[in-house]
Order: sequence, then C-alpha cells, then structure tokens
Amino acid sequence: MKPIYLFFFFALIAAGASAQTLLRGRVLDERGRALPGANIYLKGTYDGANADSTGSFRFTTTRRDTATLLVTFVGFENYAQPVNLTGTPLELTVQMTESANELNTVVITAGAFEASDTKRMTMLKALDIVNIAGAAGDITGAVNFMPGAQRVGEQAGLFVRGGSNLEAKVVIDGLIVQNPFFSSLPDVQQRGRFNPFQFKGTSFSTGGYSAQYGQALSSVLLLNTTDKGSQDGVSLSLNLASAGVTYDNATEKSSVSASVYYGDLRPFFALVPQNVEWLKAPVYGGTSLTYRYQPTKNGLIKAYGMYSDSRLGMVFRDPAQAQAGNEMGRATLNQHNRNLFINSTYTDSWDEGKWALNTGVSISHDTDDMTMGAFDFSRQNSRAQVRAVLTRALPGNSQLLFGAEWHAIRLGNTVFGNAFSLTDQYAATFAEWQVYAGRKLALQIGGRVEYTSVIGRMNMAPRLSMAYKTGTYSQVALAAGQFYQTPDYSYLFRNRTLAYERADHLILNYQVIKNKRTFRVETFYKNYAQLVRERVDTSSAAGFDWRADLGNPYRFPFGPTDNTGRGYAGGFDVFWRDQTSVKGLDYWLTYSYVDTKRLFRNYLTQATPTFVSTHNLSLITRRYFEKIRTNLSLTYAYTSGRPYYNPNRPEREFLTDRTPAVHNVSFSANYITAFKGNFVVIYASVDNLLNTRNVFTYRYAANPEGQPGRTRYAVGPTTYRTFFVGGIIMLGKRAKVDLNKL
Amino acid sequence: MKTLIVSLVAALMGVVSPVMAQSEQYTQAMTAALNTLKGQNMKTPPAEMLAAANGFERIASVETKEWLPRYYAGLEYVFLGFMGKDAAEKDAYLDKADAHLKAADAISPDNDELAVLRAYIAQARMVVDPMARWQQYGPQFQAGIEKAKSLNPDNPRPYVLEGSSLMYTPEQFGGGTATACPVLKKAAEKFATFKPKSDLSPNWGQAQIAPMLEKCK
Repeated sequence: MKPIYLFFFFALIAAGASAQTLLRGRVLDERGRALPGANIYLKGTYDGANADSTGSFRFTTTRRDTATLLVTFVGFENYAQPVNLTGTPLELTVQMTESANELNTVVITAGAFEASDTKRMTMLKALDIVNIAGAAGDITGAVNFMPGAQRVGEQAGLFVRGGSNLEAKVVIDGLIVQNPFFSSLPDVQQRGRFNPFQFKGTSFSTGGYSAQYGQALSSVLLLNTTDKGSQDGVSLSLNLASAGVTYDNATEKSSVSASVYYGDLRPFFALVPQNVEWLKAPVYGGTSLTYRYQPTKNGLIKAYGMYSDSRLGMVFRDPAQAQAGNEMGRATLNQHNRNLFINSTYTDSWDEGKWALNTGVSISHDTDDMTMGAFDFSRQNSRAQVRAVLTRALPGNSQLLFGAEWHAIRLGNTVFGNAFSLTDQYAATFAEWQVYAGRKLALQIGGRVEYTSVIGRMNMAPRLSMAYKTGTYSQVALAAGQFYQTPDYSYLFRNRTLAYERADHLILNYQVIKNKRTFRVETFYKNYAQLVRERVDTSSAAGFDWRADLGNPYRFPFGPTDNTGRGYAGGFDVFWRDQTSVKGLDYWLTYSYVDTKRLFRNYLTQATPTFVSTHNLSLITRRYFEKIRTNLSLTYAYTSGRPYYNPNRPEREFLTDRTPAVHNVSFSANYITAFKGNFVVIYASVDNLLNTRNVFTYRYAANPEGQPGRTRYAVGPTTYRTFFVGGIIMLGKRAKVDLNKL
Repeated sequence: MKTLIVSLVAALMGVVSPVMAQSEQYTQAMTAALNTLKGQNMKTPPAEMLAAANGFERIASVETKEWLPRYYAGLEYVFLGFMGKDAAEKDAYLDKADAHLKAADAISPDNDELAVLRAYIAQARMVVDPMARWQQYGPQFQAGIEKAKSLNPDNPRPYVLEGSSLMYTPEQFGGGTATACPVLKKAAEKFATFKPKSDLSPNWGQAQIAPMLEKCK
C-alpha cells in the first residue's frame, strides 16, 4: 500500500510542476507609478498575489488554457485581461485607471459657492454657515459674508455683485420662495424665515447659473432640505425674544417634525437701546410641520408647511410725507403680517440611478395689513407653482436633464389708499446637457424658454459653463449666459407693455482645495440691458417734487416707464479658508470688489446705485475649546461707503456722495453641556462689539417750502452694540457627535 | 444490481468529489485568511490589512455563493477606513467596504452580521468628519444596530458597536461611561452564551470591549 501511495504522491507533484504557469509583472497607474497593495488574481481560482512595495507581483497557477486575469485596487477601475496559460512564464505590465471621484474629476463651479455635507469637495459645510458670529443663525445673514455678496444694512434680501435685492431669488428644493424674508419694513433689515438646520446644503450662485433656474438677474440661493429626521424627542428653546417647542420623531421609513413658537421683543428692547421708535414691539407666533416618507427604496416624499402671524408698530421717517411742520416725514406704521407657505417634493430614481425624477409643488400666501400715517398700504401676494425635472445619466459621468415649471401669481398693493392688483402666469421649460471629455474637462450647455402672461412675452436664454482640471487640487472654470427677469410688479401695476429685463454674465474662476486649505478667485463682467426706467419729469410743471422722489427708496412709481435702462458690473472676489495652519483654529477671509454703473429706476444719469459698496471684506474665525466645551467665533466685516442722493447737488453730480465705511466686529459663543442626561446648548452673542455708530445712508429733511432741504439725517442700524442670549434643551434626544474624533 | 449501485456511487462521487474538494479548499483558505485577520490589530500596517482584504476578495471571486469572504473583506476595509491618512483615502476604503457589503447582501439578505457591518461602515463614515456627517450617518448607524438586534437578539456585536460608540461620545452628547456601560455589559452577557455557527463565522468583539469594561467597574 505504502509504495503505491508514495508513487501517487510523486506523480502528483510531477504533474503539478509541469502544469504550473508562472505569472509575474508590475501594476502601475496611468503615470507609471507603482501601486503597492493591488490585488492580482485569476478569476474563479484561488491563485493570485498582492503587489509588493514596488508594484511587482508573482504567482503560479495550475490552471491551463485560457483564464481571466483580474486586478483590483482601491480608487481604481477594475482591470481584466484574458491570459493564455501554457506553462511558459507570463510577464505582464498592468496599467490601472483611476476611478472617477470628487478629487480627480472636474466639477462645474463658476459662479457657485457651495456649503454641503454630502459632497466631499466643498468650501464649507452646512453647519459652518450657522455657527459664525455676525450671522445671527440666519442663512441669509451668513450668505452676506460669502464672496460676491454686498452688505446693505437697512434692507432685507441679497445684493449680489452690483445687483439689487429684487434680482436675487431664494429657491428651496427647486421651487422659488415668494416671501423668503420676514415682511419688509422701511430701514429695517429682516431675517430669513427659515431655520438653517432644515437644510443639508446651500449653494449660493453669484451668476452664470444653470438653465434650471430663471427670473433672477444676479443670483439664486439654492437651499436643499434634509432627507431624514435624525432626532427623537422634544426640544425646548428660550431666548431674549422668543420661546419654542419642537417635537421630532423618526422611524425607518418616515419622520415627522413639528414646532410651535411665540415671540415678543419687549424684553429684548428693554435691555438693548433701540434707534427705532417702536410704538408696538413686534409680537409674533408661528408653527411648522415637516413630514418625510420613503415609499420605495429610492423614492422620497417631503412635505413642509408653515404659518406665521406677526404684528408691530413703529415710527418711520417717510420721505414722501416730509413737509414743512413734519420735516422728517415722521409717520406711524402699523403692520399685521400673515404668511402661509407649503412646499412639497417627490424624488425618485430608477434603473440603477440612470433615470432620476425631481418634482415639486408649492403654495404661498402672504398678507400685510399695513397703514402708514392715515393711509392704507396693504399688500397681498400668492403664488402656486409646480415643477418637474427628469435627469438621464449617460456613460462617463455625462447627463441630460430636462424640465418644466409653471407658476400662478396674484398680487395686490394699496398705495395711499389706491388699490392695484394683477395676476400673472409664468411658465418655463429648460434642458441641459452635461458632458465630460475624460475627467479633466466638463462642459454644460443649457437653454431656457420662458413665458410671462402679464406682459405677454417670451424669452430664450442660453447658458454655458465649462471647467478644466489644471492639477490634482486645482481647476479653472468659465460660465456665460443670458438671464431674464420679469420687471418688478410695482412697475407692472401701471404699465404692462414693459419687456423683460436682461443681464449677460461672463465669469472666470480658479480654485485650489488642498489639505483643508481653500483658495478661490473669481472675476466677472455683467452687461445689463432693457432695465426698467422711470421717465422723470424734471420740469417745474411736474405735479410733485421729483427730487424728493429721488431720495425715497420706498416710493411707488406712478410715472411713465420704459425699457431704456442699461448698465454694467465688473469685478472680482477672493476667498481663502485655512483649517490647518493654527491647530484648532478655522478662519476664512473674503474680499469682493465691484465696479458698476446703471441707468435705471428714476436715475438721472448712469451712476453707481445706492445699494452698491465697492469693497466688502470679512474675516471669520472659529475655534472649539474642548476643556470648556465652548465654540467661540469672532467676525470682522468691512463695507466701503455707498452712494447716497444729495438734492443740493446739480444733476451732473447725481449720486457722487459716499457714506462712511461700515465696520462691524461681532462675537458669539456656544456652550454645549448635559443637564440630567439631556443635551443642552447655551449661546450668547454680541454684535457690533466696538459700538461703532455705523451709517447706512443719508436722507434729507424737508425745508420750509416742503422740498428736500440742506439738513440731512443718517439711517443706521436699529441698534448699535447688541447682545443676545438663549438656550436649547433637547429632552431624550440621541445626538451622536463624536467630538473626540474631531 | 451491485454493479449498478457501484457505478451510481462512482458517478455521484464523480459529481460530488470536486465540490467537496472545493469546499475543503474554501475552508482551508478561509481559515488561513482568518488567522491573519485575528493576528491583526489597530497597529498593523495598512499594507498588511490591504493584503488580507485582497485574500478575502480572491476567495470571494471563486465562492460566489458564500457571503463570508465578502463580509471579511468589507470588515478589513472598515478597519482601513479608520486608519486612512485623510478624508479622501478613508472614503475610498469605505467605498470598497460598501461594495463588498452590497455583494454580500445579495448573497445573504437579512443577515444580522451584515447589518452589523452596515452600522460599522456608517460609524467609520461618520468619524471622518463627525460634525458635518453625524446627521447623515448617525441614523444609518442606529438603523444597522436595530436591524441586527431584531434579526438575531443573541448576537453580541450590535451591542459592541453601540457600547463603544457611546463610550467615545462625550457626556454632553448623550454618551459617556454611564450610558455606555449597561450596553457593554449586555454585550459581555451575550458573549457568554454566543456560539458562532461555524469556525468561519464572525466571532469578534470580545477583546475590543475588554478594556472598556474595565472602566465600567
């Protein structure tokens, strides 16, 4: 038995030896560098090896005839090659291709400044924009520190690269928000209505944006709501101005979040001296409800609704009511605002993500019962909109997108007791093709066609953007396009023959993101055409004082209008963020420069508009102090002087005066702790730490003849140095933040 | 008749024996690879972990009906995901872990150990940038843990992950020894009775929680 066994054994070895084929070689990347750790094997066998530190491998197989050699490595596309196994050693050189990722693939960035948690290569994270001093936990407050934004202290809204606040739109999940800010008040900057924590990403586009968006000459602020609730339980919040309760509940497929709040500014006003004479401190209340449901694996339904009610009374200096005896135009203003907003979306994807659908419906209704002095100035607006976008993913990262949207708008405005109203239907369809030539070059071509019923006109706007990767961490991008906007409704109440206003954008961008440091520079040129112009009758025969009107940003345009306005804006902005040079410190520096002139509204000549500041600079710093569990942030912001109207100058010196520059240093602290097992955040902030007497603009009091005289008065912030404290307690919430790993 | 049976047996042997041989080869290869895995710890150079992951991946390419090689390859990539030098590298490893998990899920749906792996990947993703990612991956982590517990209440590993996560979460965020210890003790209790299905089945976790349990005394 034994000899037979032995014989058998030797026979096997002999057979094995003759049947073996040796495979050896090297695994390299596209540039010929070794890839240690690559996995090389014959498909369906146990035969294989790992590449050593020089990228070399060597193994034998008993397999004969043909087989498939597979090579895999982290971050690279799988490699397959048929091999013929005959017993003769095989010498192989395998060249692997890096798989597409956010580091090695170019992204179209010109014009857009993103804060996102889901994308890995962004300048900011969603939370970054909430936790900064000076933003007061408001998204638009934070956006005002981003490149391209211009700070205008006494008005609500976004002023971007020479554009007015009417030229920027806020978009939530693709749907335009009719009333993104709390109801406007003269000379008071209002906050945004939305809680920053409900968004997972923010993209602030300062121009050259996608064909998916329209009706904004200068900017769109794109906000994307979170897909999932992450908390369970009740949280209570209390601060100097308001108190609120939020309830959250999340299950595997759905989540619900409901909140109620009530605010009264009297305690705050008692502590912080006010520059505004309040007759009735703002009192407000509201509620919101969010519901998310995942009906299928990739499908998601999100519904958000909110309602708010606010009342206030103040003394306002109305240039239109300035006259002898009431030189400053002091008038009482009473406002009662009610706002309803419902936003609902359904998204889904099929066929391994090859097809994606994004749909949305939104309804908003807003009423402002308002009186100024003895006059009725009520406003109402409602908007209903539907939108659908279908995206088809194509090979090699490319994609084709097409969609449409439809809006029905109804507006009413009472001015000095005269009621105006209009209805408008707006429809748009758009298509966009994004194509990649390799991973270094991307091109996006799009077009948008719009129709506006109130003026009975349509437009076609082409859009183009491209980007080229210049290095492992850097890229250049270019964007160009035409942007149309229906003239402001205050003009359409009296003139429906007006045409669209137009802006042409050209943007060039360069950015480097490396090792938690970001550098970005963007330069732009914009041409404005067909801007609405009010024909100002400067003859003495005019029934009213046109000079008083020029100094009044709150006037209603009663006069004749046409589309003969024009203008330009050019400039650049620079952004630098560094999270590594000083351990634990995160800081970013933003500088924006703009040179712009326009002939529009009731301007006498082409001039730099009153809302434009040539230089905007901000430095934001943040640091978390582990021992005291406190996050501290310090912000410095500089805004150069803005033009203001001086009625005592001749017409050729129109808007040549400048206000002094605005400086603001603000500070905030967040202290995180636990109280009886419940998560607690206490926050405190000081705005305008140095108590600077900032001036936003000047206006002129009436002389004894009732015309704008020589006495000017300053319009500044509602408060100078301001402090604010508050806290949130989350009862039984499971917050999973691993600070030890930061 | 006898010849018929003999030939039938022979025929069956002919069919069965290669399978048997392969299964033996599988057990051998897996045992060897698992011994390598067991010898590794957080100080093991990434190159060795990658080599071990490659070994499991090669087994997986042959044993297309076995979820274990995919599972262990995924596990190695989770370890690598904790060790990567920067966020991009960590995410690249975790992308690999996700790919192996997906393949394993297709072979063995509703598997408690794969739910644990899913939670583990979510935790590793979260640790890359906790402040920005906890909202996204926190619920994924929790969902994996809950699913594993419901699929197999006797499995100690969901408790291992949950307990160690709580241990490293500061008190003000609902973590700390007070909340972690009961969970870790529960894991220890489960380990006392837990019997892996086979020598190749997952059986890790006890050593990881030992130093943490020391703090609980």
